[in-house]
Amino acid sequence: MEKNYHVCTGCSLLCDDIEVEAEKNKINKVHTACRIGVAHMKAGKEEAIFRVDNKPVDEATAISEAAAILKNAKNPMIFGLGASTNEAQKTAIELAKKINATLDDTSSFCLGSLVEALISEKIKTCTLDDVRNKADVIIFWGTDPSDSHPRHLSKYSYFPRGSEKQRGWEEERTAIAIDVRKSHTAKICGNYFFQIPPKGDAEFTDALIAGLSGKLPKTSYNYPPKKILELANILKGAKFGVIFVGRGLIYSLENLEPLFRLMKALNEKANFHLMPMVGNYNTMGFNENLFAETGYVNSVKFENGTVLHGPDYSIVEALKERTVDAALIVGSDPFSILPRSIVKNLLEIPVISIDPYETLTSRNSKVYINTAISGVEAGGSATRMDGKKVSFEPAIETNHPSDETILKKIMEAL
Amino acid sequence: MDFGSFLATPEIKVKVITYRDIFQDKAMIENRFGEEYRNLSAVIKLDPVDLKQLNVKKGDTVILKNSFGRIVVKVDESGYETPHRGVAYMPKSPWSNMLVSDETGGTGIPKFKDISVTITSAKGEKITEIEF
Ligand code: SF4
Repeated sequence: MEKNYHVCTGCSLLCDDIEVEAEKNKINKVHTACRIGVAHMKAGKEEAIFRVDNKPVDEATAISEAAAILKNAKNPMIFGLGASTNEAQKTAIELAKKINATLDDTSSFCLGSLVEALISEKIKTCTLDDVRNKADVIIFWGTDPSDSHPRHLSKYSYFPRGSEKQRGWEEERTAIAIDVRKSHTAKICGNYFFQIPPKGDAEFTDALIAGLSGKLPKTSYNYPPKKILELANILKGAKFGVIFVGRGLIYSLENLEPLFRLMKALNEKANFHLMPMVGNYNTMGFNENLFAETGYVNSVKFENGTVLHGPDYSIVEALKERTVDAALIVGSDPFSILPRSIVKNLLEIPVISIDPYETLTSRNSKVYINTAISGVEAGGSATRMDGKKVSFEPAIETNHPSDETILKKIMEAL
Repeated sequence: MDFGSFLATPEIKVKVITYRDIFQDKAMIENRFGEEYRNLSAVIKLDPVDLKQLNVKKGDTVILKNSFGRIVVKVDESGYETPHRGVAYMPKSPWSNMLVSDETGGTGIPKFKDISVTITSAKGEKITEIEF
């Protein structure tokens, strides 16, 4: 019997082996997915919602109000899109060009710098399938996939018996966690958990580099040199090593230099790859699509055919400096995820929220358009965290418009 | 000896480490304005000795304060075997984000992982609402 598998867009692993049981366009049962995936697949709502000034309106009114806001703005911003399909992202880039907007996504304050290094081939990377089939030494650094990407260890990085790793985790893989806290992933790593103090990552990196070349590894926080040497020895022996990097590491570094140094030292002795643990299901797609268009992965401003780039065009600095006067926010909730000391400035300008979920942002927006959840209620394509392209069809039918449709309608209404 | 223990309402300073939690994320997908999400988010986890010094019990509310915000959340024991006095843990949420500095040095990246707060008992005060 041929089975009908669906793709879960609950995180950037885009698991493509999900089965659902649905009745009257409501998903009742979800098989194979993790806790997050099950909640995500079941999250579809009944009625489409359109609001202006917190009052229900029809779709046409919401679209024309959104278009009016963007038309009246001198410096509009478009933000979000990490939970949108490639098709919606490309439409948003077109829209940004048309209205000379600032365009940014969450990667500007997450892992964007690392993704940019990867896309411009400054760091060696690999695919998750390579990891599954070949990886023998796996490092989780400042990341806890057991909570953020729940099937990461079981599907790819640790537990599976890959084509060249038939004996699996018991004999052929070593998983290592480096973190400031004993996370669930760190617990799985057992004796290979290296707990370092907050902001201790750069020093630990250099101590590890020293250890790799047989020097005495020193840190100001007196990490036992013997343990670092032990770790260096494991890494030296890796035939296919991979470092999964999370925000815990990136936030603690002033810049990426220590990481570049470490990758260089590791690849002189062994074979190492690096992969950022991007969160939203299609952040990678946004970074790639914008890079293809502008040469930058985030924080850009379009200006009559030219592209400006830099932190000034990130959402954080744009809000801090109050340089934007309207915001179109797609599938993201800055009111929840940014520091309140900064995001409070967003209350001063008109906000259009396009989102499948009711959020703090939707509740504080002038126009709210409730859209379909991609993968569940709308189809399209996305880029997995390792760059693999994944296409999906909707699992159920819905009367909610997709964000792509809404963006196109706003563009037409301008 | 700790000076804090002589004050009428004991107060301690801690560094807060934020993290993600799968149960909390699941609750957020289901309803980010719901009880479950609030219970799993508006909470700070301390070393048992710090709890004692604050004269509060698991489940009591405490005030977290710094120059960027003041919030009331529930207090819990961290459950970690190794002692970690002065370091507290909070799931990443709109509550923890009320305590993050607006300083970015022009980089576009807030100091999400660099939170210091003072804690005191909230003496029954209710958990802070996240609505503006
Ligand atoms: S790991 Fe991610 S993509 Fe896979 S089922 Fe869970 S949430 Fe969905």
